[in-house]
Amino acid sequence: MLYELRRMEAPIKWLVTCLLATLGLSYVFGALMVSLYAGFTPARVAATYAGPEMSMPMPPESTMVVNRPMSMADFAQPEVHTVDTNLLIQDTHVHVPMYGVIAAALGVVVLGLSLRRRWALGLITLLFAAPWLDFAGMWLTKFVSPRFAVLTLLGGWAMGGAYFIVTALAVYQMWWSPKGVAA
Amino acid sequence: MTWLIRAAAIAAVLHITPAVVLVKRPDAVQALLPGADAYFAREVHLSDVDAHRLHEVVDWSPEDGVLAFYTGKTGSTVVGALEFVRVDTPHGPIEVAVGFTPAGRIRGVIVTKATVEMKPWVLEAVAGGLPERYRDLKPGDAPAGAAALAGKTGNLAVYIAGEVDKGVTRALAAYGAFYNHVRA
Repeated sequence: MLYELRRMEAPIKWLVTCLLATLGLSYVFGALMVSLYAGFTPARVAATYAGPEMSMPMPPESTMVVNRPMSMADFAQPEVHTVDTNLLIQDTHVHVPMYGVIAAALGVVVLGLSLRRRWALGLITLLFAAPWLDFAGMWLTKFVSPRFAVLTLLGGWAMGGAYFIVTALAVYQMWWSPKGVAA
Repeated sequence: MTWLIRAAAIAAVLHITPAVVLVKRPDAVQALLPGADAYFAREVHLSDVDAHRLHEVVDWSPEDGVLAFYTGKTGSTVVGALEFVRVDTPHGPIEVAVGFTPAGRIRGVIVTKATVEMKPWVLEAVAGGLPERYRDLKPGDAPAGAAALAGKTGNLAVYIAGEVDKGVTRALAAYGAFYNHVRA
């Protein structure tokens, strides 16, 4: 193949390295944001996406009132950040195209790696499947069962894992492998 | 439908930024129910008919079909009531706390949550005197915070005022129809 990162000129290697570093930075802050607003356990993800909509009882036949005392501490309790259907539509609309662009960019890096065809195909599939799993998990958690929260976690870890594999291979092949240094 | 298309178009070019707490709920409670030493939640579970009625009036339904009012008392004297109303905008949600006097008029309005992107717009609107525009309104009145700020603040502050108007409209409609008119 003509396109081999390890044989590329240094400016191209540097461009790819900068791209990977920038994506890595965004992934770190993405993970921090997830920890702030959704969490890394199936229970917290389910609480964020399933929210009260999953357990919502049927509306009563006639309007009814429940009174209960409150303490100031009740007002201060941290609220679970929830994503309702409207917000999930917006999130999906905004994030999925961006994830597609990131997967494509990393996929182009994969094409330049010295890998067996099946590994390259597998890695490219993983890059795109990870966000599919992520968002499929969110929608299934909301409308089918909170148990699907595990899919979202799996998708998130898969995104991080795929990025790590691509970056490690690319950096190694570009800068440390013998052919890379000689290029 | 038009709203949906507009929201989708705007969402296409905007990223919804994370939510930020502008005023903590306990602080909002103390400000809007001054002097209260006991608090009670009054959760009104709306029937389909009542939920539809409310939706017809203000084009809004509360989350889970439940309206939550919080009443503050000093001894046996009612200090007032309070609602937290969420308004979904194309830029993300904002939360508005609306406090009522025992006479059923608005005592105060506080924007408790917004998103990182909207925070400066909210602060500008508040600095421009937005909360004062709602004082003393009663159910049936139409909030006009956005109109009051037009020309005096930036366009984005006016935009936020319009969203706060929606929250106050919802709070007024919910309070007027369901706070004292449904038996426990």
